[in-house]
Amino acid sequence: MQDREAGKTLSERDPDADLVARVGARDPLAVRALVASKLPRLIALATRMLGDCNEAEDVAQEAFVRIWKQAPTWRTGEAKFDTWLHRVALNLCYDRLRGRREETVDDLHAMTEPAPDPAGAPDQQLEARTRDQRVRAALAALPVRQREALVLTYYQELSNLEAAGLMGISVDALESLLARARRTLRAQLAGDATGKDSV
Amino acid sequence: MTPERFHTIVAAYGADPQRWPRDERNDALEWARAHRAQANAVLEEALELDSWLARDMIAPPERALFEQIVAGAPVQGVVAKRRSYWWSGAAFAGVGLAGALAGALTMSLLMPGGTTSAPHENSYLNTMNTSFGGSGSDWSEPGAVPGAEGSDE
Repeated sequence: MQDREAGKTLSERDPDADLVARVGARDPLAVRALVASKLPRLIALATRMLGDCNEAEDVAQEAFVRIWKQAPTWRTGEAKFDTWLHRVALNLCYDRLRGRREETVDDLHAMTEPAPDPAGAPDQQLEARTRDQRVRAALAALPVRQREALVLTYYQELSNLEAAGLMGISVDALESLLARARRTLRAQLAGDATGKDSV
Repeated sequence: MTPERFHTIVAAYGADPQRWPRDERNDALEWARAHRAQANAVLEEALELDSWLARDMIAPPERALFEQIVAGAPVQGVVAKRRSYWWSGAAFAGVGLAGALAGALTMSLLMPGGTTSAPHENSYLNTMNTSFGGSGSDWSEPGAVPGAEGSDE
């Protein structure tokens, strides 16, 4: 997935081009196929960026409204559709993040934690969920640019060039953000592991 | 590939070579094979965080959300529906018009001669001097049909 050669990435055929063209022609089957293909990616991106499932769903819905508008006039070659979609979703996420600047890290932690199961979960499920919560909380506590770099490259599996292009930075700057993000996470999660349990 | 660059790649992208920059992947793997001890130390450290990150799974979207988004798309069916409404309206109007004409024709056959045509219609048709120029009574009288007259001559 990673590629430092700009020409190679941009000249590759956009795998979504045909599907987007059919969506532009108002083909109902293509609409369903595109939603099935992109909705999980949008939800994953927005959930990790915002730390809130409901807000992530709102972002995904808004992103699809933009897709419906853009698809009839979409032109391949200027940008890959998936990259453009990530730009749209990231902008929507940043709009929301700007709106909650005053919120503290503790608030973010609280938002990322799933609601407690009133029926009580088995020990293994509980332990797994606790681990997941800690990873999610550690991600949410990262500075937003570090989190963005990690989410785009690790979870969304964009190439380093695509991620750097989306973030408006060089590949070197992206790698610096990634290294810092991973260092911070390792320190935090290792500290949690020794402090809370032996996972 | 230098040791520093290998370290930078692993520090940024993790221990999985599939995540390394494609154009540097082979060189990095080759360097790791040639410097196994050094590489393993770096990779092991990154592997621990990779396993942590892999635990963060996002639940797939709900079916209801999927359907809600699909329903919001302007699909061809909406246009086709509008067209079908248009055609059904036109067909309805056409049937109504045909019925009215059929009714008028029936009335003209059932009613006594001359009473179905309004005066202005008669004058209009007469001035045009067509085969429709005569009144209904003309058609009913034997020998009054223009064609019949001609054939008698």
